[in-house]
Amino acid sequence: MRKPILLLLLILATPSLSLALTADEIIDKSNLAYYYAANDGKARAKMYIKDSRGRERYREMTILRKDIKDGGKQNFYIYFHEPADVSKMVFMVWKQAEGDDDRWLYLPAIDLVKRIATSDKRSSFAGGVFTYEDVSGRRTGDDTHTLLRDEKFAGKDAYVIKNVPKDAALVEFDHYISWIDKETFLPIKGEYYNDKGKLYRTIEVEKTAVIDGYPTSIKGVGKNLDTGLTTTIEFVDVKYNVGLKEKIFQERYLRKAPREVEK
Amino acid sequence: MDQKRHKSILYLSVYLTLWFIVNSGNAHALTFHGFAEGAYGKRFEDDTTSHDDYNLMEGRIQLRGAYAPDIADDLEPELVFKGDLIYDRYQELTRGNLREGYLSLTPHDMIDLKIGRQVLTWGTGDLLFINDLFPKDYVSFFIGRDDEYLKLPSDALKASIFFNRVSADIVLLPEFEPNNSISGKRLSYYNPSFNSIVGEEGVMAVDEPERGSEIREKAARIYGTIGRTEAALYYFDGFYKNPLGVDSVTSNAYYPELTVLGFSLRGPLAGGIANLEAGYYDSTEDRHGDNNRVENSAIKAFAGFEKDLGSDLKAGIQYQYEHMLDYDEFIAAGGPANRDEDRHQWTLRLNKLAMNQNLTLGFFAFYAPYDKDYHLRPKVSYKFTDNLSATLGANIFQGEKDYTFFGQLTRNDNIYFRVRYNF
Repeated sequence: MRKPILLLLLILATPSLSLALTADEIIDKSNLAYYYAANDGKARAKMYIKDSRGRERYREMTILRKDIKDGGKQNFYIYFHEPADVSKMVFMVWKQAEGDDDRWLYLPAIDLVKRIATSDKRSSFAGGVFTYEDVSGRRTGDDTHTLLRDEKFAGKDAYVIKNVPKDAALVEFDHYISWIDKETFLPIKGEYYNDKGKLYRTIEVEKTAVIDGYPTSIKGVGKNLDTGLTTTIEFVDVKYNVGLKEKIFQERYLRKAPREVEK
Repeated sequence: MDQKRHKSILYLSVYLTLWFIVNSGNAHALTFHGFAEGAYGKRFEDDTTSHDDYNLMEGRIQLRGAYAPDIADDLEPELVFKGDLIYDRYQELTRGNLREGYLSLTPHDMIDLKIGRQVLTWGTGDLLFINDLFPKDYVSFFIGRDDEYLKLPSDALKASIFFNRVSADIVLLPEFEPNNSISGKRLSYYNPSFNSIVGEEGVMAVDEPERGSEIREKAARIYGTIGRTEAALYYFDGFYKNPLGVDSVTSNAYYPELTVLGFSLRGPLAGGIANLEAGYYDSTEDRHGDNNRVENSAIKAFAGFEKDLGSDLKAGIQYQYEHMLDYDEFIAAGGPANRDEDRHQWTLRLNKLAMNQNLTLGFFAFYAPYDKDYHLRPKVSYKFTDNLSATLGANIFQGEKDYTFFGQLTRNDNIYFRVRYNF
């Protein structure tokens, strides 16, 4: 009779044990919180790019996202409003669970739908500090994650995790360190180091808000310490569970923007 | 040409009127952009074209706008306008050029309509076209205007139908719009009746296509995705876009009838994008191929591969093959002996972005190994600000023989410079 009680006690005790998350679990949760919030999302992004000589560039776009599977396949539709020479241009990504993503570019001047090669996800998105991978998310399985410590960062309790790429040839960094908010699981800071151990790139979330019940990063700053380039991205008019249909992410809507894009 | 110009001006005024109506009312759904551009292109060789020292000197203002009125909301109406006003020093005239002026409607969840003047593009080639038989402006392309101007607009009705897995476009073109092909005025070329390269003295007499109310050309495309590969079937019924026929009575060149059936595939392969496209050109006025005054039927195909090499460097390569289907009959009937049965062509594209993607280094080459001719298109452009950019480029032509496609253009080498302010 005693053994079952012991077993019961053990079972009751387990949940408290599992509260200590592994690095992989933290990264998975963070990936879901940052890139897969709700079933779909919509935002207007304003991007300010400033070079070391203080010259500024401005990009404004509408981003539509739809998750096909949480943590896996998802689609992005990015419609450019500014600058003038790329207005109406659309960049579309079908993010795949494995292998290369599918990417298209729509050039309105000649009504051309171009499929673009995607092997380099580390190239700059629209000329700023953020890479294509920063925009659509890096696959959690592409790195080995180690929990270094817990610490307070910017007034928040955070996990500090070291991420080492499994295939170093595909990326420009040797490793990066992520600070992840324990409460919301949003990443709040990333530090990228090169193979000489030198910090050369940082990404920081400067402002978050809870929108439709989902903690959301609404202002982020990227800095390239080697080139002096900084990029600030602000998200306004963020909405979740808009009811985006999967068919929006097709050639039809490259040529004719869907209603969800407010010009 | 005159008729076209009058029509452009008519369109322009209609749209400008619309513009003011729209502007005076609620303008919340209105977008508006454009640019002002100056362009100059220098020529280097003695020639007999209209101006031998330059072939591009013009100022251009483009305005483009879109307006979604608040009426008939479930049809999602949108009016789209794009017009260029050009002062062309070369031709010593100021002209309007309506590039887009159409109404877009979605009458049903599965149907889109586009009615009016529009630029139409489909197919998988990079500056190669087999199933895209919409009009092109090769003069603009070779004298250093922006690549945008390679495509000429069409007056058309385009209906698109979307099913779950398959979509279709049907395009009806009430008027035949030919390519703006090389004529000897701005670019010298090989004229077979002179058997040499000629300029203004050998401008080809071309019979303008008939104009009427009937539908002159039809084009259709059915497309869908198989796995991650995009597949498409194409149909075209109209005319050759270049004057590839000689009228037996007037001896003028004209545009013979043409029907084309084709397909294309495009998808990821080996870390890049591969594409394959082919078409059967049915020269319907010369089904037996034994008329030396009309272009032979042909099979055309190209295959391409593009890869991102990292560090903002992209490379693309294409191979094109064209085969005349009744070559023996064509030659037996007195077709020119310098015409080859097959044509092979390679293209190479290199594109590099630098300085935070503000500097673009571009290179494109056409090379025909058996014709032993080539065309090089190096280009550098820089964005000084979000609004101001400049482009410096060149068009270089070389060939062993006068009568090959790029060989005929050898006197037209040019360097061009463009400055553009976007707003």
